[in-house]
Amino acid sequence: MLLQLSHIFKWVNSGGQRIFLLKDINLNVAEGEFISVMGPSGSGKSTLLNVIGMLDTFDEGTYDFLDTSVHNLREKHRANLYKEYIGFVFQSYHLLDELTVKENLEMPLLYKKHRSSERKALVADMLDRFNMVAKKDLFPAQLSGGQQQLVGVARALIASPKLILADEPTGNLNSEQGEEIMEQFKQLNNEGVTIIQVTHSEKNAAYGKRIIKLLDGRMV
Amino acid sequence: MFKNYIKIAYRNLLKNKAYSAINIGGLALGMAVTLIIGLWVEDELTHNDYFKNRERIAQVYQSQTFNGNTGTDPAIPRPLEKALREGYQDNFEHIVMSSWNFSQYLKYKDISISREGSSMKRPAPEMLDLDILKGERDGLREVNSIMLSESTAADLFGSEAPIGKVVKLNSQYDMMVTSVYKDIPFNNSFKDLNFIIPWAHYITTQDWLKEAEDNWGNNSFQLFVQIADNTTMERVTEVIRNVKNDLNEETREFNPQLFLLPMKDWHLRSNFENGKQVGGRIQYVWLFAIIGAFVLLLACINFMNLSTARSEKRAKEVGIRKSVGSQRRQLIKQFLSESFLVVVLAYVAALIFVLLSLNGFNELAKKDIAFPWGSPFFWGSSVIFILFTAMLSGSYPALYLSSFKPVDVLKGTLRAGRFAATPRKVLVVIQFTVSVAFIIGTVLIMQQIYHTKNRPVGYDKEGLVQVPTFSQDFIGKYELMRSEFLASGAVVEMSTSSSPTTNIWSNMSGFTWEGKPDAFQEDFAWTEVSHDYAKSLNLKILKGRDFSKELATDSNAVLINRTAAKYMGIPDPVGKYIKDTDEEDPRDPLLIIGVVEDMIAQSPYDPVKQALYVFDKEGESNFYNLRLNPKKSAGQNLEIIEGVFKEHFPDLPFQYQFVDEQYGAKFESEERIASLAGVFTALAILISCLGLFGLTSFVAERRTKEIGVRKVLGATVFNVWQMLSKDFLFLVVFSCFIAVPIAYYVMNGWLQGYEYRIDLSWWIFGLAIIGALLITLLTVSFQAIKAARANPVKSLRTE
Repeated sequence: MLLQLSHIFKWVNSGGQRIFLLKDINLNVAEGEFISVMGPSGSGKSTLLNVIGMLDTFDEGTYDFLDTSVHNLREKHRANLYKEYIGFVFQSYHLLDELTVKENLEMPLLYKKHRSSERKALVADMLDRFNMVAKKDLFPAQLSGGQQQLVGVARALIASPKLILADEPTGNLNSEQGEEIMEQFKQLNNEGVTIIQVTHSEKNAAYGKRIIKLLDGRMV
Repeated sequence: MFKNYIKIAYRNLLKNKAYSAINIGGLALGMAVTLIIGLWVEDELTHNDYFKNRERIAQVYQSQTFNGNTGTDPAIPRPLEKALREGYQDNFEHIVMSSWNFSQYLKYKDISISREGSSMKRPAPEMLDLDILKGERDGLREVNSIMLSESTAADLFGSEAPIGKVVKLNSQYDMMVTSVYKDIPFNNSFKDLNFIIPWAHYITTQDWLKEAEDNWGNNSFQLFVQIADNTTMERVTEVIRNVKNDLNEETREFNPQLFLLPMKDWHLRSNFENGKQVGGRIQYVWLFAIIGAFVLLLACINFMNLSTARSEKRAKEVGIRKSVGSQRRQLIKQFLSESFLVVVLAYVAALIFVLLSLNGFNELAKKDIAFPWGSPFFWGSSVIFILFTAMLSGSYPALYLSSFKPVDVLKGTLRAGRFAATPRKVLVVIQFTVSVAFIIGTVLIMQQIYHTKNRPVGYDKEGLVQVPTFSQDFIGKYELMRSEFLASGAVVEMSTSSSPTTNIWSNMSGFTWEGKPDAFQEDFAWTEVSHDYAKSLNLKILKGRDFSKELATDSNAVLINRTAAKYMGIPDPVGKYIKDTDEEDPRDPLLIIGVVEDMIAQSPYDPVKQALYVFDKEGESNFYNLRLNPKKSAGQNLEIIEGVFKEHFPDLPFQYQFVDEQYGAKFESEERIASLAGVFTALAILISCLGLFGLTSFVAERRTKEIGVRKVLGATVFNVWQMLSKDFLFLVVFSCFIAVPIAYYVMNGWLQGYEYRIDLSWWIFGLAIIGALLITLLTVSFQAIKAARANPVKSLRTE
């Protein structure tokens, strides 16, 4: 089992009222799964993804990731855990504008203290794999949206994570570009990477092997 | 990793050129000011470092009390030396009697120059550890020897070898050059000691010097000592404190207290109030050190403000970095390296600023500061300075930016809350508090100087020239010179005096008069003058008459000033006598023939001292006072005067001083402080404004959408300008309320040091506030109007 969420609650207090963002979420994810999370706006999809990615906290319940109890961890250890095992892909790519494609890809490796030669090799592999060698010295602003998201996927992948979390990865792309990204995901999943994606599109959701539907913070 | 940080920082700087320029430029300016002030402070603190024995050298000072007022100065009587030598020799390594350092004539062959020099006892070169270039160290052994500084020797002898040559001193004495010593550097006491003559020679030159040998009341000399190795300044002071009191009965009523002023205090702590040491120049050192620290603080605040104001732009980066695994510690490191980079760049720019402005600064501050290229201390402190500034300016942004939660910033929900801008506001308030306080301080200093400069001096100082007449050549020539000068047409009136118009060289006590209260301890400024003194100076005679050439009895006449009449307590002084109380050899009684207007001769900030202008019977004056012909230009007059002078004294260099310039020199120190303070204040304001400018542009940028919406809904340019400026104006008004009481308190204390001073008027403070508001408004409006005039459609589309 890769990760296990049981009885997760998350809420905010607003004007004396408790508003639940997540309500009694129970989810087991095995290695190699490809899960699509669906639901209307405000149903808690992104919140769930952030909790799984340890970027956000929760108020009640337990979360075990590879037999480690995330709910008992301090921030620093959580960061160590997710930088080891999780890669993120964002709807608006979130590349650093001041860094070139090559440097953006290299960044996660810097935080994992890889040696320089090792970094170069991994970056070169990625560029190769995504057919971006010619674009390695361009800045994000010089790329199309689809290309930027490809860099985003490559960046998520470069540290060989076990799990990729993608929050509407195709939301800003046209259908052709979106399809390219989804094909990449499918291929990755075939290679054994676990993927959880949030999406609005039925078509993209169909790439997943399992679909979770959320409504008002509850799994339905 | 570090390389990656620097790369990002570098690209960020390049991308936001205006922001970088403001940030680096402001910081560089602040650092340059701090560096220059640092160099200045170091120069002040290392004053006298040239002297190897500086820890053990001291000057003997004396405090005496007249009518309850204790005065302290370095003038001591001759017998004191003998008393110390005979009774207390164990405490001293050297006891060096010395004359004042004054201008005298030196002549060799055709070359005649005038230089300042002193007469000193034989161990002086040893005590001062003079760097002997030629000749012997013990150069004052023979009575008729002279030691010359390197530059003086060069001026006199050119390329000739000076040792053994004979120099004519004051056209009268033949002195043999025994040694040449290296010039004492600028940044030291004794820097104007251009030659040294043996004390033994000095005391033979004039009768009064011989007479002073056992006169405890004649405080006309200086005494330098080097204390023995086994004792301390404090201990020696305790030993000698009452030597004069114990040995001399006549001066006991003034309770003379002796003490040592260590060499390290000569320059910085030589002010005394009621016998207590009360600092001195050290206060200015502190003042400027504080200004330097504040200016740096202002520049650092800019950095913090601009960095955090840009936080929303950097927030995304923080979020991304955190989501790919960066820890907070690493982000703090990143932002600190970024501020380190900026500070290093600013430091380099600051060094260039300093190098470019050092000459100007030296001129302004009357210093001779060289850039310390080779000083490990300087580079060492620079490294510390850079690290300190980087930490000071970078820590807040680093801690603030690294605290963002990735979820918030990546979702774009990070909106600065109500209080997010509070630290920034506090920093702006600090900046403007400092700036407004600086403005008020500078304006008040300038006002005080202006006020004192316009104080009536009591005589007409324009068109008045003084010619020093120290040389023996002048004796008995006055009447001749007077008629020659008057006949030349360049001079309309002329007189002589024993002191310069702008100073008092002699004080006298030991008098009585009709109606003098019993316990009254009198003390007068004493100037000997010729006929026509009042006339040549345009000094107004208030009562009585001037000296008359017809009345032979006027040789014992005296003019007193207005303050003296009041001081002596006689309602109608004219016709009264001032008698000498000396019983053995009394001076003839002095007949008061007139009362003259008070003349500012000493500090223009102090009340005028009671003065006696006594008729000069002996004709031993020190100055000619020449009233120039107003119909000719000063240049023409001087040319004619020089011609006449050279005709009669071909061997002497023609020297002269304009009295108004001499008087102006009294303001030099204050004016220098004022101009320095003015420059630093201007820079402080500039730095604060730079920061404000940057801050406004970010606020305007952040509110672009809001401005667009408001304009679409009908807001005018004025409305928008008002909206953007209001907040900043409020901060500045708030700063003023803090700055005014602080400035009032500090400046009031400063003004207490001056007897003649301005009243603190509220309009000055009002003016400073209005000035600060105007500057703020100008700075803010530039950006505000630009933002307000932008096309709303454009700004809304980009969002």
